Amino acid sequence: MTTIARVELDQVPLLARPYFADGDPGPIVRSLAQVPELLTVALPFIGAALGPSAISFRAKEIVIVRTSALAGCRFCVQTHAVVALEAGLTSDQVAALQSCGPTDEAFPDPRERALLRWIDVVAGGGPVSDDERATVLRSWSDHEVVELTAVVGTTLMLNRYATALALPTAPEAVERLAQEGLL
Amino acid sequence: MSTETVESLPAEAGPIARAVADGVMPSRVWMYANYHCNIQCTYCLTESGPKVAQRALSPETMLAVAEQARELGFTDLGVTGGETFLMPHMPDTLAALSANLPVVALTNGTLFSRRLLAKVEHLAECDVALQISLDRPDADVNDEMRAPDNFRKVTQAIPDLVERGITVRIATTVESIEDNELDRLCALHRDLGVPDSEHIIRPIVRRGRADTEDLGVEAVASDLPSELTITDDGAFWGPFGPTVKDGVLDTDLLVTRTTLPLETPARALLGLLEGRPEGADSTLNIR
Ligand code: SF4
Repeated sequence: MTTIARVELDQVPLLARPYFADGDPGPIVRSLAQVPELLTVALPFIGAALGPSAISFRAKEIVIVRTSALAGCRFCVQTHAVVALEAGLTSDQVAALQSCGPTDEAFPDPRERALLRWIDVVAGGGPVSDDERATVLRSWSDHEVVELTAVVGTTLMLNRYATALALPTAPEAVERLAQEGLL
Repeated sequence: MSTETVESLPAEAGPIARAVADGVMPSRVWMYANYHCNIQCTYCLTESGPKVAQRALSPETMLAVAEQARELGFTDLGVTGGETFLMPHMPDTLAALSANLPVVALTNGTLFSRRLLAKVEHLAECDVALQISLDRPDADVNDEMRAPDNFRKVTQAIPDLVERGITVRIATTVESIEDNELDRLCALHRDLGVPDSEHIIRPIVRRGRADTEDLGVEAVASDLPSELTITDDGAFWGPFGPTVKDGVLDTDLLVTRTTLPLETPARALLGLLEGRPEGADSTLNIR
């Protein structure tokens, strides 16, 4: 397969080095490191959008896995399915998110159901109706909806990036998903 | 390094000009005019040779770098390669660059035919110095590392250029040199019309072909001069940054892919320089 070069660990550009301090940071960082000035602004933003914040770890991983499944991004689905399990989602819940199909059965919590409806509308493309906005705002506050929507958008950006550049999933992630029957 | 003090800068001077004036940022901006060369030295950092891709900067880009370097507050320019005089535009480009800032241009000194000498003659009127490589006082030893007939061509070109009033510097790049060999080399360059003040001796840096050939000293970023260096592939931490090994460009000393506006890599480099611990300055006398 033709894939994009990722910087070798002895060739990390100066500005990118802090992101490699703990070893191999994975293919997104290793590919973006080819353009250090992009990496150094993209990563703080991606970290703020997808990392720890006022939105729970669990809710963010629901957003990331579901959005990535809708965008057909193998790399992000596989990588974040493992993270979602760590965030407390069950294998059934992860499987429902991955399926792109109905999720109500696996997610009985009304707030999570409202979130999933919102993700499907935002990530699905096209216009977003007033009704949909009103529905999500009944379960989530304005600032939460802002952040969750930004997480969908950031995830979509990474989905297209990882898919277009054919970034490889870490073998450990594939192994874990196989054990859980999630491949 | 500039001797201008921060106090003497105009009030509107920007952060790069201030950093240059107070010695935080080296004053010179380098440009890799091209990567190809008519010869193939054993220690070449860029694996240059007749068959490699040119990866040249256009004269327009070089001029834009020079203008922006001056505006930002840099005080000197350097042009290197590859063999810079393989680019037919080089005599005119050097003159145009020097209208902005003083220039030192590196050359292997082997291409100065009568025709090229006529084309560079006007550089005597410009603030341009040509830095020519001459490693040994004996032709056989010199040519072993560089190319057949290199010594003869260089020792002919130097007086030809000096006669025309062009400033010539000699750079000697060696792993080691005996005192008596160095004495003979210095006597030779004086004979050729180049004073001691225009002779520099530097070690081989173990990058590029020198690494493949197991030559030279290991050097990390802090050992190497941090002069902003612009290439067709991006901006680097010094002219020893954009080296090539096994046909692949090294990126360990890459600063940014963006080269113009020059302020982008200049600010990124300044950020790196300001972030490094005190005293972590170049230690290997590499220039
Ligand atoms: S060291 Fe200079 S002269 Fe020798 S091959 Fe490299 S670019 Fe050419």
